[in-house]
Amino acid sequence: MTESMNHGIGVDIAFVLLAALAVISGWRVFRTDSMVRASFFLLVSFIAVGAIMILLAAEYLGVAMFFMMAVEMTVMALFMVMFMMNPAGLNPMNMVHQERIAIGAGIAGFVVLGAMALFAAFPERPLPTGLDPVRSLGLEMLGDSMLIFESAGIVLLATMIGVVVLSSHRGRYGAAAEGSMPPGLAPGGDPAGKSEEDEEAGGGHEHHHH
Amino acid sequence: MIVDQLILPLLMVLVTLSVGAYIVAVLDRLMAGAFGAPRGGNVWLAPLTRGAWLLTQHANATEAPDWRAWRLAPALYLALAAIGLAVMPWSASLVATDLVTSVVLWGSVEALATVVIFLHGWSANALLTLIGGYRYVALGLSYILISMFVLIGVALPAESLQFTQVVASQEGLWNVLRQPLGLPLFLIVGLGMTFWGPLDLADSTDLAGGTASEVSGPPRLVWDIARAAMLVAFSGVATTAFLGGWLGPWLPGPLWVIVKMLAVLSVLLLLGRWLPRLAPERCVTLMWVVLLPLSFLALVWAGAVALWE
Repeated sequence: MTESMNHGIGVDIAFVLLAALAVISGWRVFRTDSMVRASFFLLVSFIAVGAIMILLAAEYLGVAMFFMMAVEMTVMALFMVMFMMNPAGLNPMNMVHQERIAIGAGIAGFVVLGAMALFAAFPERPLPTGLDPVRSLGLEMLGDSMLIFESAGIVLLATMIGVVVLSSHRGRYGAAAEGSMPPGLAPGGDPAGKSEEDEEAGGGHEHHHH
Repeated sequence: MIVDQLILPLLMVLVTLSVGAYIVAVLDRLMAGAFGAPRGGNVWLAPLTRGAWLLTQHANATEAPDWRAWRLAPALYLALAAIGLAVMPWSASLVATDLVTSVVLWGSVEALATVVIFLHGWSANALLTLIGGYRYVALGLSYILISMFVLIGVALPAESLQFTQVVASQEGLWNVLRQPLGLPLFLIVGLGMTFWGPLDLADSTDLAGGTASEVSGPPRLVWDIARAAMLVAFSGVATTAFLGGWLGPWLPGPLWVIVKMLAVLSVLLLLGRWLPRLAPERCVTLMWVVLLPLSFLALVWAGAVALWE
C-alpha cells in the first residue's frame, strides 16, 4: 500500500475522469448516426487513453497517441465519406451491423479482459528513479528490436501505397481517370444529365456536379 | 502545491492568451494603416469595440447543424492555442508545464487543429463552410508534415524532445543560424494554420468566409480570438525553437522572450500583408512539391550539422 501512495489524489481523480470519458465516448461511437461524428468520438476516446498513458509515465507514447489518432481519424472520416456515397457524412446512417456477432465478440472480450484484470498476478515493479521514458523507448526501438520495428514500418508503408493504388484505380463511375462525370445512358455515349445548352456554352464546369 | 502547479500556470497561460490576442489585433491594424488601408477609429480601442459589438450580436443558426460540434470547435481551437502557450518556456524555470515531450505535444496541437477546423466547417451543415473544411484538411496535412520535419531538426542538437532543452542547446548558436531553412518554413506553416493573410484559404473571401461564413456573434468572437491566440502560440514556439528563447544579454529571460515574440509576430503579420495570394490547388502543389522537400533538406542539414558538431 505504501508503494502506491507516492502519487497524489489528483492523479486518481484524473484517471477516473479520463477512464469514464474513454468509455462513454467509445460507446457514443456506435450510438451516433454519422460517420464523421463516429470517427471523432473515437478520437476523443483515444485522446483520453493517451492522457491515461501520460499518467502512467509513458510520456512519449501518450503524446504520440494524440497526433497519430488526430491525423488517422481525420483521414478515416474523409475516406469513409468519399467511398460510402453519403454526402459529406451528413445524412443519418446506422453505425452498427452484424449485431449478433458483434455482441458476442464484445461480451467475450469483456469477460476475458475483465478476468485478466481481476485474476492475473501482476508483477510489482515500481518505476526506477531517474527513468527517462523517451530515451529508454528510443533505445528499445532502435537498439535490440530495430529489425522488427523497421520491417514492420516498411510493410506498413508498402500496404498504404498498395491500398492507395488499388482504391484510386477505380472511381465511382469507372476508371478514376473518368473524373466525376456520370456515365452515358448508352455505352460510350455522352455523360448523362448534361443539357444541350451547357455543351454549347463550354467552360463553366462547376454547374455539372449536382 | 495546488497554487504552484495549477493556479499560477493557468493564470500565466490565460494572461498570455488574452494580452497576446489583443496585441495581434492592434499590430495588424497598425500595419494595415501603414500599408494605406483606411483606418476606422482608434487603433487601440478598435479591437475592443469589435469584440463588444460581436458579443451583442445574434449568433447565426443554420438548418440542422451539429450544434455541439459547431459551438465547441472555436473553443477547442482556443484550447489548442492555450496548450501551445503552456509548453512554451519563459525562462529556464518559468514554464507552465515542462513536459519531457513538449515538442511532440506541440506537433499534436497542430494535428488536432486540423480536426477542429474541419469540424468547424463540417458541423454548420452549409455548403461553403464544408468546402472550407475540406480545403483545410487538404492543406493541413502538408502543414503538419513540414512543421514536424523542422521541429525534429531542432530536437536533434538538443538530444531531447523538451522545449527547455531545445533552448539550452542554442547557448552557443541559435537555431535560426544553425538551421537556416527551419524558421521560414515554420512561419509559413503558422500563417497557414491560423488562416492569416493570403494563406487564409479555409476562411477566404472566395468562399464568403469559408469555415466561418455562417458564424456570427459570440462564437465568431471566440473563433477570431482563437486564431489570434494560435498566431501568438506560433510566435512563442518559433522563439523557443529557433531564436534561443530566453537567451540574451542584459535583459532578464522573460523580457527577451517577449521581445522576440513581438518581433516574430510583426514578421508574421507583415508576411500576411506582403505574400501574394495563391489558388488553393496551386498552394497544395507548392506545399507538397516545394516546401515539403525543403523541409526534408532542412532535416538532413540539421542531422549533418549535429553529427559535425
